[in-house]
Amino acid sequence: MCDVAPLIRVKVLFFGRLREQLGTSEDFAELADGATLASLFAFYAEKYPQLKSFRTSLVASRNQEFAAWDTALHAGDEIAFLPPVSGG
Amino acid sequence: MSDTNPQDSVALQREPIDAAGLAAYVRGPEDGAIVTFDGFVRNHSHGRSTKFLEYEAYEAMALAKMNEIASHLHEKYAIHRVAMAHRLGHLEVGETSVFIAVSAAHRGVAFEACRCAIDTLKKTVPIWKKEFFEDGAVWADGELPPAPPGAKSAS
Repeated sequence: MCDVAPLIRVKVLFFGRLREQLGTSEDFAELADGATLASLFAFYAEKYPQLKSFRTSLVASRNQEFAAWDTALHAGDEIAFLPPVSGG
Repeated sequence: MSDTNPQDSVALQREPIDAAGLAAYVRGPEDGAIVTFDGFVRNHSHGRSTKFLEYEAYEAMALAKMNEIASHLHEKYAIHRVAMAHRLGHLEVGETSVFIAVSAAHRGVAFEACRCAIDTLKKTVPIWKKEFFEDGAVWADGELPPAPPGAKSAS
């Protein structure tokens, strides 16, 4: 068998101004095992340069819980990058 | 969620909120007070005249966070029931966007719990408001929910 670094596939959701900037509300990403929320964001910032300016004004969630940027991702995770919330 | 009080009512909805119905829902014979919060669409924002609003949510997470708020209220305050509803979609000026009702035996905890509920909702529930004006639209500034312990920047 060949040694191939395993990839993990995660679902990524975008909301509000982020959804509008990217023109999509949902995506799937494949990353190397050991990827974190920070590296997933970096992946999207590479793909969508307009995302970079949002970096300091977002929080991330993993499986519907707010999560630190150094949180490791697992196959099947549902990730979202959340702009400042404004309900009420 | 397993820790949700089954007698509470938590909802995200596109149809108008039945405020009177929710206030009646939390009312029990053991209660002596109900405090309600009715948040509705203002006709101006930052000096501009608002035409209408649109709300969107990360619905599954927003419902989970609203249920967490209700659970937290029960842990912290001697209250009876909580009803909490938030609108999504298109809202006209004057329409209720969020409604919270808390019942308790005594008014003090009902006031405190209701205040805690709306303040926490505005900081932690993933809902977003877009304001539409005559000459354009903006996403409301909002609040960045607190990152969990150990969080570092995305850099």
